[in-house]
Amino acid sequence: MLTVRGLSAGYDAVDVLHAVDITARAGELTVVLGANGSGKTTMFRTISGIVRPSAGSIDFDGRQLPDLSADSIVKAGLAHCPEGRHLFAKMPVEKNLMLGGYVRRRNRGRVRELLEHVYELFPILHDKRHQPAGTLSGGQQQMAAIGRSLMSDPSLLILDEPSMGLAPLVTAQVLDAVAQINRDGIGVLLAEQNAQTALRIGHHGFVLAEGRVVLSGTASELLDHPDVREAYLGV
Amino acid sequence: MTLFIQQLFDGLALGGVYCLAAIGLTLIFGVLRIPNLAHGTLYMLGAYVTYFFLVTVGVPYVAAIGLAAVVLAVIGVLLERIVFHPLRNAPHTHHMIAAVGAMFFFQAVAQAIWGADFRRMESPISGSVTILGAQISWQRIVIVVTAVIVLGLLTWFIKRSIHGQTIEAIEQDRTGSSLVGISPSRVSMLTFGLAAALATVAAGLVAPINLLAPTMGDALSLKVFAIIILGGLGSLPGAIVGGFTLALAEVMTSTYVSAAAGEGIAFVVIVLVLAIRPTGLFARAVQR
Ligand SMILES: Nc1ncnc2c1ncn2[C@@H]1O[C@H](COP(=O)(O)OP(=O)(O)OP(=O)(O)O)[C@@H](O)[C@H]1O
Ligand SMILES: [Mg+2]
Repeated sequence: MLTVRGLSAGYDAVDVLHAVDITARAGELTVVLGANGSGKTTMFRTISGIVRPSAGSIDFDGRQLPDLSADSIVKAGLAHCPEGRHLFAKMPVEKNLMLGGYVRRRNRGRVRELLEHVYELFPILHDKRHQPAGTLSGGQQQMAAIGRSLMSDPSLLILDEPSMGLAPLVTAQVLDAVAQINRDGIGVLLAEQNAQTALRIGHHGFVLAEGRVVLSGTASELLDHPDVREAYLGV
Repeated sequence: MTLFIQQLFDGLALGGVYCLAAIGLTLIFGVLRIPNLAHGTLYMLGAYVTYFFLVTVGVPYVAAIGLAAVVLAVIGVLLERIVFHPLRNAPHTHHMIAAVGAMFFFQAVAQAIWGADFRRMESPISGSVTILGAQISWQRIVIVVTAVIVLGLLTWFIKRSIHGQTIEAIEQDRTGSSLVGISPSRVSMLTFGLAAALATVAAGLVAPINLLAPTMGDALSLKVFAIIILGGLGSLPGAIVGGFTLALAEVMTSTYVSAAAGEGIAFVVIVLVLAIRPTGLFARAVQR
């Protein structure tokens, strides 16, 4: 379980996040909504140790993440699949996945299992395993990025706009896979522009605006909330 | 024809040495995006430390090179920790100034310990064989064979072992690397250690042919920079092809044109390549 309390963070001493409180319960799918520039990516980057917070606490299963280095955070079971994917473009798909298991490298058996599991989830990655990741289609690259994150055997997976730049049909495929990952027992913290689809597969949700949480509730509460309907569902 | 074969072997031996020295430089560039101007002085120290083990301590030649490589790997890691790590968020000019500082420091250390005069390291491998009528010294054969073995092991390490793969991962995507739990700081240390060890192997192999002096790294430094620019900054195959190309061009020009032209050929080749392919022969498609 991830508990973020009073989190402020930003770039060059200017805060982008202002006292954010967010909770992602173990095994649940938590959705983060927010307009462009509202601070979703910054929040995720702070949780995974790339951006240092200026105030607040981030507790993950009893450990304070800001005290840990980025690699210890991955080892603790938190994986972050970033906006823009950040794959190793010139390496084959399989090498990308194996590097995803870098923090589990001492446990070869587990890494094998995880790899098989990723190939089951995304059979296309198995077909393309020898191809450089940069030559895959956008949707396939997103699957490779999610697969690489799963290789670290996380209990919580942060997904930052996995459908960005994808056609509607591919978006649906990717979000189906996200729902499947969550059904397999992995907690998910998902930022998504397709609010409706995201809330349908989610349990809880938060809405960020200008670096503050302005609304939170269960997924169905948010789906029915007039502000959400107006801002994100175009009703 | 005999002369040509002779020169071909000289060129291959020199090429092996250039490759080993250039690969470290190109790896450091790929990982840290800085030109390590102190690289030539690591090569120089590598030669002196090999000399120390071989002549002063009296261990066998190959063991002396191995021990020197280990010592230099430690020095490379220390250089990264003490000089470059604290500057990791500073502008690139700071790195260059620091590298020049390290260069003078290493030269002063070598001069204080071993003096400014040239020293000769006797070739422990004597004799020669006749191949197709040409006399090839065993030392040159040892250089070529060792270079090929070391390059093979290195390629295996970087492409196949998970630790070596982290070097390419950082080169290709820093953010992606951090997010899978690769520590950039560990990879920087690994790269510096490896680079210094490779430069030492190069220096130890060539030392019996050349003379040792605290300034011996300067000329090499210019050439390895030429090689990695030629091959494409950060590219491993580029450094290998660039190293052999330059060495062969140098040896052949010295023989068939003039020694002075041989020394200058590196820069002629660079100017030509940069005019035709400004990114180098093996430009990396992914730059960030
Ligand atoms: N590296 C950076 N340096 C400086 N400012 C940044 C940086 N990254 C983001 N910002 C600023 O922080 C604010 C929040 O950006 P962030 O990327 O966190 O928003 P987001 O909710 O993820 O937006 P989007 O939906 O477009 O991805 C924006 O005003 C942005 O300009
Ligand atoms: Mg974002």
